[in-house]
Amino acid sequence: MANIAKKVSWSGRGDDRGERTPLLNGDEEVKYNRQLSGGGIFHIGRLSTVDLEEEITPEEDIVRSRPKEIPHNEKLLSLKFESLDYDNSENQLFLEEERRMSHMGFRCLEIRRWVICGLIGFLTGLIACMIDIAVEKLAGYKYFAVKLNIEKYTELGGLSISLILWAVLNSAFVMFGAIAVAFVEPIAAGSGIPQIKCFLNGVKIPRVVRLKTLVIKVFGVICSVAGGLAVGKEGPMIHSGAVVAAGVSQGRSTSLKKDFKIFEYFRRDTEKRDFVSAGAAAGVSAAFGAPVGGVLFSLEEGASFWNQMLTWRIFFASMVSTFTLNFFLSIYHGKPGELSSPGLINFGRFDSDSVQYNLYEIPLFIIMGALGGVLGALFNIINYWLTIFRIRYIHRPCLQVMEAMLVAAVTATVSFAMIYFSNDCQPLGQDNTEEYPLQLFCADGEYNSMATAFFNTPERSVRSLFHNPPGTYNPVTLGVFTLAYFFLAVWTYGLTVSAGVFIPSLLIGAAWGRLFGILLSFIASSQSIWADPGKYALIGAAAQLGGIVRMTLSLTVILVEATGNVTYGFPIMLVLMTAKIVGDYFIEGLYDIHIKLQSVPFLHSDAPPTSHWLTAREVMSSPVTCFNRVEKVGRIVDVLSNTSTIHNGFPVVAHTSENDEPGKICGLILRSQLIVLLKHKVFVERASSRLSQRKLQLKDFRDAYPRFPPIQSIHVSQDERECMMDLTEFMNPTPYTVPQETSLPRVFKLFRALGLRHLVVVDNENRVVGLVTRKDLARYHVGKDGLEELHLAQT
Amino acid sequence: MELLTRFTFVSACLFAEWAVTFIAVANCSISPSEMNGDSALKLPSAVIPVSQKSTLGSFYSLSLSSTFPEDLEVNEYCTELLRIYGQRYVTFANCLVTYARPVRVCQNCYTGFNSLEDIYKNISFDKSAPGNVSCHDSLMRSDRLMLLYTLFIKLDEIWTSAECKQCLNEDQDALSNDTLYFMATLNQSLSCFEQYQRNHTELCKDCKTSYKRLNEVYGRMEKNQMLCIDLEDAMNMTQHLWSKNFRCLLPREETVPVIAVSSFMLFLPIIFYLSSFLHSEQKKRKLIHPKRVKSSSSLMNIQDKFS
Repeated sequence: MANIAKKVSWSGRGDDRGERTPLLNGDEEVKYNRQLSGGGIFHIGRLSTVDLEEEITPEEDIVRSRPKEIPHNEKLLSLKFESLDYDNSENQLFLEEERRMSHMGFRCLEIRRWVICGLIGFLTGLIACMIDIAVEKLAGYKYFAVKLNIEKYTELGGLSISLILWAVLNSAFVMFGAIAVAFVEPIAAGSGIPQIKCFLNGVKIPRVVRLKTLVIKVFGVICSVAGGLAVGKEGPMIHSGAVVAAGVSQGRSTSLKKDFKIFEYFRRDTEKRDFVSAGAAAGVSAAFGAPVGGVLFSLEEGASFWNQMLTWRIFFASMVSTFTLNFFLSIYHGKPGELSSPGLINFGRFDSDSVQYNLYEIPLFIIMGALGGVLGALFNIINYWLTIFRIRYIHRPCLQVMEAMLVAAVTATVSFAMIYFSNDCQPLGQDNTEEYPLQLFCADGEYNSMATAFFNTPERSVRSLFHNPPGTYNPVTLGVFTLAYFFLAVWTYGLTVSAGVFIPSLLIGAAWGRLFGILLSFIASSQSIWADPGKYALIGAAAQLGGIVRMTLSLTVILVEATGNVTYGFPIMLVLMTAKIVGDYFIEGLYDIHIKLQSVPFLHSDAPPTSHWLTAREVMSSPVTCFNRVEKVGRIVDVLSNTSTIHNGFPVVAHTSENDEPGKICGLILRSQLIVLLKHKVFVERASSRLSQRKLQLKDFRDAYPRFPPIQSIHVSQDERECMMDLTEFMNPTPYTVPQETSLPRVFKLFRALGLRHLVVVDNENRVVGLVTRKDLARYHVGKDGLEELHLAQT
Repeated sequence: MELLTRFTFVSACLFAEWAVTFIAVANCSISPSEMNGDSALKLPSAVIPVSQKSTLGSFYSLSLSSTFPEDLEVNEYCTELLRIYGQRYVTFANCLVTYARPVRVCQNCYTGFNSLEDIYKNISFDKSAPGNVSCHDSLMRSDRLMLLYTLFIKLDEIWTSAECKQCLNEDQDALSNDTLYFMATLNQSLSCFEQYQRNHTELCKDCKTSYKRLNEVYGRMEKNQMLCIDLEDAMNMTQHLWSKNFRCLLPREETVPVIAVSSFMLFLPIIFYLSSFLHSEQKKRKLIHPKRVKSSSSLMNIQDKFS
């Protein structure tokens, strides 16, 4: 038994129906079809699961003999996700437009692309700057108030009141953020990196790049960071950059219902996705002050569709974004024109002479990398179970808001208790790096060392762990802090607030890394090179972050750029490699887990390794709903409005015979195109009257993009139903096809490299026998015992 | 703050020694050519061995015999300036070392610094010198060591990092009123401490008002940036006395209410999760039946084929 195809039947309930997984029971399938086709107008025999989508009405459920219901789990594919149309439809309209366009026109397009990239960078930098300042101000007010209160009650007694004040303030901030996210735009929850990864992968996530999402995201992240949660504002920056890119490149906002009538050429998925990758890069670059890291991030996540010019433009966008952020922050800090404070998170400079490393430290770094991998895997496993619990039980918005508030309150409580019971007092620093030093029960002139870690925004804590001189923290403080913060961060990620996981990971890692460094210097009594714990804090931070998110190339470059020290490139790379290898042994990266749990049909870079025996014939959906070259309007409307099977692509065949013989393929037409055609009533019978009117152009299709009206909103009268529609001009005349015997990895490669949405499977006479879509491919994955198949489900 | 103090002290000590050593060397190298022996500086005896240690003795005996032509020599006016510079330098360095611990440099040495600064400025902006070559050029810029410049800059750095200017009045010729006020307040506290030397609990209670006022004054001055190393050090010592020696710390007596409130807060999420687990309806997913090619070619058969 070389290959075992195991059916995954994840049923939390009894096994009464678990035995018969729906993918196998072909007989039953046929029965449904008969029932339905007996029911009347639908030509069920030709239906396929091209892109099944959204509501199946209750009546049909009953007809389907109660589809099986299972609790949510990671082995599902949701129907609500569609592919992007990355592949260009080369129909006659397109060719005409290209012919009409002059050489100058193409030049202008190129220039416009650069302008857009510049704008993306500028706006992203501006947003980053705004978030930074808002967080700093709000957190400043909060900590100032709490500090005053604590100082007052330390003397008078009644510190529990300070505790309650802190908890209430935290909860209040978080409540606003959570309400905005949960009730207005749930897609803005979390860091947004999984969603952007999916988008760059070619999955259209509903509402992910809208202006409304951006507004909620920015507001949410300000609230959650100011609310003292164990979160960072870097991940959301990437999402924000992507939204900015998607918005700017379209020259209009459907949320605001405003069309600036510019950049109309770019209103297609192909162009939009390229710009979104630029936006994501600009976001990374603004967040970490790492322009190259940003480009590499986009490269790592969207690597299948890439070219040189695009890379260069993306780099331009990232640079502009860093520059903008620097410029505005320099104005804010009262030193206009000084451009040397890059990034939202500024790790500070690591001077090469104070923190040099030696060859014999490399094994130590690798050990730390392994440790980071294990801790990261632990983080991911706990967060995985927590997320499943949240999806299953905490799905109502009010519960989600309550949960977020509780987490905020508990975070404050834990922090306060830690600070209260800590006996670690340190003299105030020479340069007073602590923004809000808390004295509490320490001697005058000293401050509570636990408070520097907890009573601060996470970014500042990271910086002080990196740079404070040796002896600033004692080991017990660091150990306790690591433990507490680890669990807080695990608990926080996945809440319905917009917040990233980068900074908490760095903070956890920096804490145990510093602890590691301190212990090392205890063991090796010589005060030479071991003495600087800041170095180990950096390595620990890299290890922990690598262990959690499992990014490789881009993360290395981001960290190197953020610390401004190229000499650390090698150890950081080693550490990230080790962390990834060790972590992957247990569980995959946090973002991949969340993508899976959202049931997104995500295509990884390669097909599952043991899948060569699967052919297109097994993979494809069949039979396929096809249209004739000249099709009756009534049939088109019926097929489009059939809610049980919402397809998005229809092969156009030369002629369908009555006895269900598949016809020869001559093109492919999309739902969106058909809808526009129906809307403009492009019927053969009206051709004569249409002569007086303007001819349909590609522009009409673009105007409807990206939200094509639903079929229900298009009125087609009884007379018009009898009309005919000629699809020849509008269909894509040369869709990609494969023979039935093509292996799964071949199909996969084609899909991934070309960004396909539909791939027609034909027999040796070029007749349509099936259609492969993203969901057909994404359902195969390698599980514990060989190849497994995911279920399609409604979510 | 303590760190700062310690650092400054150490560097001041180090520097003073270093500076004095250099003076000695400088003196030796200049005096053979132009200066007469009497005007040589009175060196502290401790330093002499250092200069004697140098192995350049034979070189000096050589250079003694040789003289340079008139126009390359340092003229007398400049020599005089040099002599004054040396004197004032020593006075100031001496003062710094004397008041290094506990730090009193700002209060005691500002006259020394001012006079040194004067003579330095005289040399640097010397325009009215007789002859062609200004003293600035001949004294300060004729060799790569640029000793006078370096020496002054080092001391000036110390003075700047001590932030003494913030404690002096605008003309830099006396202590500012705020400084005097602070010292008066400090003295009150200290005399109070002395009064209750025996009984620490009494002390903590009775001196609290004066100590608190001292803290307030200090805080206000800190905000207005009117502190110099003297005041910082004095405050540091007082705080140390108060907290470490007399142990007037705030008691940690609210442990019970803090624990109670904390555990209540920690208890809330447990209730929340339990109740949502028990009462919230579990979200179910409806499985969809995808349409595939006839079951004859389904996975099952292929599985059979392989097995």
